[in-house]
Amino acid sequence: MGRKKKKQSKPWCWYCNREFEDEKILIQHQKAKHFKCHICHKKLYTGPGLSIHCMQVHKEAIDKVPNSLSTRSNIEIEIYGMEGIPPEDLKEHEKQKQGKHGRAASPSSGEDEPPTKKKASEGVGSSVGMVPAQMQPFPPIAPPIMGPMGPMPFMSPGMGMMGPGGPMPGGPPTMSAPHLQNKPLFPSAAAIASTANTTPTTNDFKSVTSTAPIGPVKPTFPAYRFSTGGGQGASASANSDPQKVPLINLLGGSSKIIHPPEDISLEEIKARLPKYQVSSGGIAADESVSSPALSNSSQANTPQSQTTVEVSLRRFLILI
Amino acid sequence: MFSQSGLNTSGTFGVSAVNTSSTNPMKDFEVTSPPDDSVSALAFSPATLPQNFLIAGSWDNNVRCWEVEQSGKTIPKSMQTMQGPILDVCWSDDGTKVFMASCDKMVKCWDLASNQTIQVAQHDAPVKTCHWIKAPNYSCLMTASWDKTLKFWDTRNAQPMLTINLPERCYCADVDYPMAVVGTASRGLIIYQLEGRPQEFKRVDSPLKYQHRCVAIFRDKKKQPIGFALGSVEGRVAIQYVSPQNPKDNFTFKCHRSNGAPGGYQDIYAVNDIAFHPVHGTLATVGSDGTFSFWDKDARTKLKPSEVMEQAITKCAFSHNGQIFAYAVSYDWAKGHEFYNPMKKNYIFLRPCFEDLKPRATS
Repeated sequence: MGRKKKKQSKPWCWYCNREFEDEKILIQHQKAKHFKCHICHKKLYTGPGLSIHCMQVHKEAIDKVPNSLSTRSNIEIEIYGMEGIPPEDLKEHEKQKQGKHGRAASPSSGEDEPPTKKKASEGVGSSVGMVPAQMQPFPPIAPPIMGPMGPMPFMSPGMGMMGPGGPMPGGPPTMSAPHLQNKPLFPSAAAIASTANTTPTTNDFKSVTSTAPIGPVKPTFPAYRFSTGGGQGASASANSDPQKVPLINLLGGSSKIIHPPEDISLEEIKARLPKYQVSSGGIAADESVSSPALSNSSQANTPQSQTTVEVSLRRFLILI
Repeated sequence: MFSQSGLNTSGTFGVSAVNTSSTNPMKDFEVTSPPDDSVSALAFSPATLPQNFLIAGSWDNNVRCWEVEQSGKTIPKSMQTMQGPILDVCWSDDGTKVFMASCDKMVKCWDLASNQTIQVAQHDAPVKTCHWIKAPNYSCLMTASWDKTLKFWDTRNAQPMLTINLPERCYCADVDYPMAVVGTASRGLIIYQLEGRPQEFKRVDSPLKYQHRCVAIFRDKKKQPIGFALGSVEGRVAIQYVSPQNPKDNFTFKCHRSNGAPGGYQDIYAVNDIAFHPVHGTLATVGSDGTFSFWDKDARTKLKPSEVMEQAITKCAFSHNGQIFAYAVSYDWAKGHEFYNPMKKNYIFLRPCFEDLKPRATS
């Protein structure tokens, strides 16, 4: 019995508790997701390997395994596929698998994370055109899904959480489907799990990250669709409809450019606000004497306008 | 107009300021009476003046001037107002005047001695940049606008002495005689040579794949301008030589990106400004992620990262002798209107930086 159970249990990733069809895919997953250098995107083989790489090549210390559960982020532990997993964790995992109504099913457990992320990623993956055969485009995801994403410590406190639409499109297209077939460990994943075979994903992932910056930029430039905001609906629809939005904030791979969707400068976007209109409000409006001559005359570089400026300046000085 | 708030600073510009609040994670000197809206331009006075003056332009339509004392204390000196948000400021070479480019499509010259301003340039759209050009045989003001023109003004004349059409709206520009660079929308990049009279030198294919945002010219060891650093909204800077001896001299590097975010996302932020250290030739970048970083482009290493500020860093500047690094913390609109909080204070910080920016010994 025991032996049989062992055979059945799928290889799983110690860092994020995800299960895989076979260990090869698990290793690809780990390399792409947990052992990838965030600076040069080189894929290393183990946590300590990544740490050493970052220290030696980029002179940056890494204290956590990227994308790992908080309790499993130890960079020191050497894990490769299923090798090196602490025996107690192995046992624990086995226990969870068997008693699937136990901890694993509880939505508050950490394991809810990976499926959620994966869901977000699929939109991006399909829009970038990676693994098209396997990836179904999914409708924009409901906002609450961000809940279990948990805190995002890299953000400055002032920024707060990104809107639900925020980090989504940047979702990792990495490991497409985790193959939760008949008895999903994570209920939420069941809905979206693709049954397709994931073998090529890791290879594609690399090409996505490297070519995506070229891809999106060219086709669509000046579409003026969303006037404000990089958050919310804009990004969500960017996912489903990549052709019509300037794809400035869509990157393949697991990244997202923090910028409004329109590919025009932040200053131009900001200057459109009524508040910043030259004719409106504030002290500027006071100077109606000079403003018609100056702001309305498009090509008028007349000497006369200079004198009006001087007059208005006198008034400024008084005001000050 | 300027009220002076107390800042307990003492000693020379090498001693850290005492301020432990989270708004000032690098514990730098805070400039008193900062602008009421986002800071869009920063410039230190040139070496021709004995004191250090700092000029800041803001979206609140004002340009402010402070005197920066060696102690790190800042004294508000004066302020001028234009009819639209300020987009750029620059000094004349002799330090007697400041030019202010605004969304009101004008550039005005502020004569500091008399505290008078006069219009010196006009465009058909907001003026994105202004730079003072001091050549042996002429001096003029270069202005570039969203009206897709680059104009050169003898400041005494209402007509530009030269107008050059740009392929697109100007997004960024820099001048270091005899070289000028303009970055435009749609990733245009044009180098001008200013000797004799300004003319286009060459159009360059952009080394970057995303919107140009900032550009800064750098010099070689003989203090001649030989290339520029170009920053994009995709957290990346390109180091580009005008005539590279080896194609490998040109390279790009990533910056202002979040790392190790949960969920595997990497957030990529715009590079808002780049400045080269006037003495060491190393550079500083500031980003929408609220950090600044110091880099050595020759050793291709990061010299120093900063902590994350409360908001984005929109602009930065070095004092003429390279002792002070000024950076402005304010909202840059990268997350759109929803994230604009007018209640948040804007800051300008001053940091003693001469040591931080020394190049790597190996280079």
